[in-house]
Amino acid sequence: MESYPLANAESVVARARSGDPAAFEALYRAFESPVYNLARRICRTTEDAEDVLQETFFEVCRSIGQFRADGSLWGWIRTIAASKAFMRLRRNKYRDTDALPDEVPSVRREDTALRMDLEAALERLGETSRAVVWLHDVEGYTHEEIAGMMGRTASFSKSQLARAHARLRTWLGEESIG
Amino acid sequence: MTHLTMDELLALDEPGLEPAGARAKAHLEECDACRGEYERLRQRQARLRALPTLRPGRDQWPVVAKRLAAERRRRLVQRAAMGISALAAAVLLAVALRTRAPARDADAAAAEAQIADLMQRSQALEAAIGATHSDQRVVDGRTVRVATDLEARIADLDKMLEVQELDAAPGRGDMQRVQLWRERVGLLNALVDVHVTNARNVGL
Repeated sequence: MESYPLANAESVVARARSGDPAAFEALYRAFESPVYNLARRICRTTEDAEDVLQETFFEVCRSIGQFRADGSLWGWIRTIAASKAFMRLRRNKYRDTDALPDEVPSVRREDTALRMDLEAALERLGETSRAVVWLHDVEGYTHEEIAGMMGRTASFSKSQLARAHARLRTWLGEESIG
Repeated sequence: MTHLTMDELLALDEPGLEPAGARAKAHLEECDACRGEYERLRQRQARLRALPTLRPGRDQWPVVAKRLAAERRRRLVQRAAMGISALAAAVLLAVALRTRAPARDADAAAAEAQIADLMQRSQALEAAIGATHSDQRVVDGRTVRVATDLEARIADLDKMLEVQELDAAPGRGDMQRVQLWRERVGLLNALVDVHVTNARNVGL
């Protein structure tokens, strides 16, 4: 699992706990990119991802007193970010493209012009599926942890992941079992 | 045996392989098609992990800092309101006891009265800043920097005031507290100017 070490993390956290604005900014600078990346991979638009970035660090600065020093700082911040991203999804109630018909035109191997790259295919997934794919396959969360964040069951998370991979396989023009 | 489904392929990497998972694993060893599918799945996951890190187009820190400062101000106003009530009671008590120790209590009461006045002016200025709706307004980078600097100085003063209020014995350090509250009112006046000027510039 990727981590983002912060030089003098203990000292920065201690100063942040005492309300030092410079320490808050140091936390933001250290984790801005991974938090935005996570938010952008889950949310539909850059504006939503920027809002999640703001909300996450507002919460981080307000709640730094609750961070357990023996835990992973990035793990703590990342859970806040993922939670804020899910709140954003619920608030927006976007039409989930999971509702796209399953019979998306199949892409034959020779139709290279129709093949999507991975970024485009990921973007095309519905928000819920995309979030599960990102949190499970990239961030390394378990289905139980994802289910906890989404307020769903682990089975739901597993089925979302399987459906998402089946679609990615088709959209990327990968050969399927014949 | 039929080929493995995507669910079954994904389950192969999950901890705690169940009997069904063990059967799937046995099938995988015998079936070239499923092994190929499993390999493509692993490659796809590796490619996902290798996607570039996306970065925000704009620096969001000034917005976060501004919200934190606004929150700090709100908390301070609440504390100040509670402080004024307590102070009013203290002033009444001081007046009632004045006949017993007139000289010293008169100084303390005068200081408390000044502090009460400065607290009220602080509250009025904070309300004026709130009325400019600075949290929702577009501001340029320079304004944000000036406002953030002023808010940081106010926060420093607040910490000093907290220490004074906690540590000072009754009747001691009153003039220092008066001085700190005066400085606070001065900084809030400057902050009001910044927000009012910005509001004027954006035509609101």
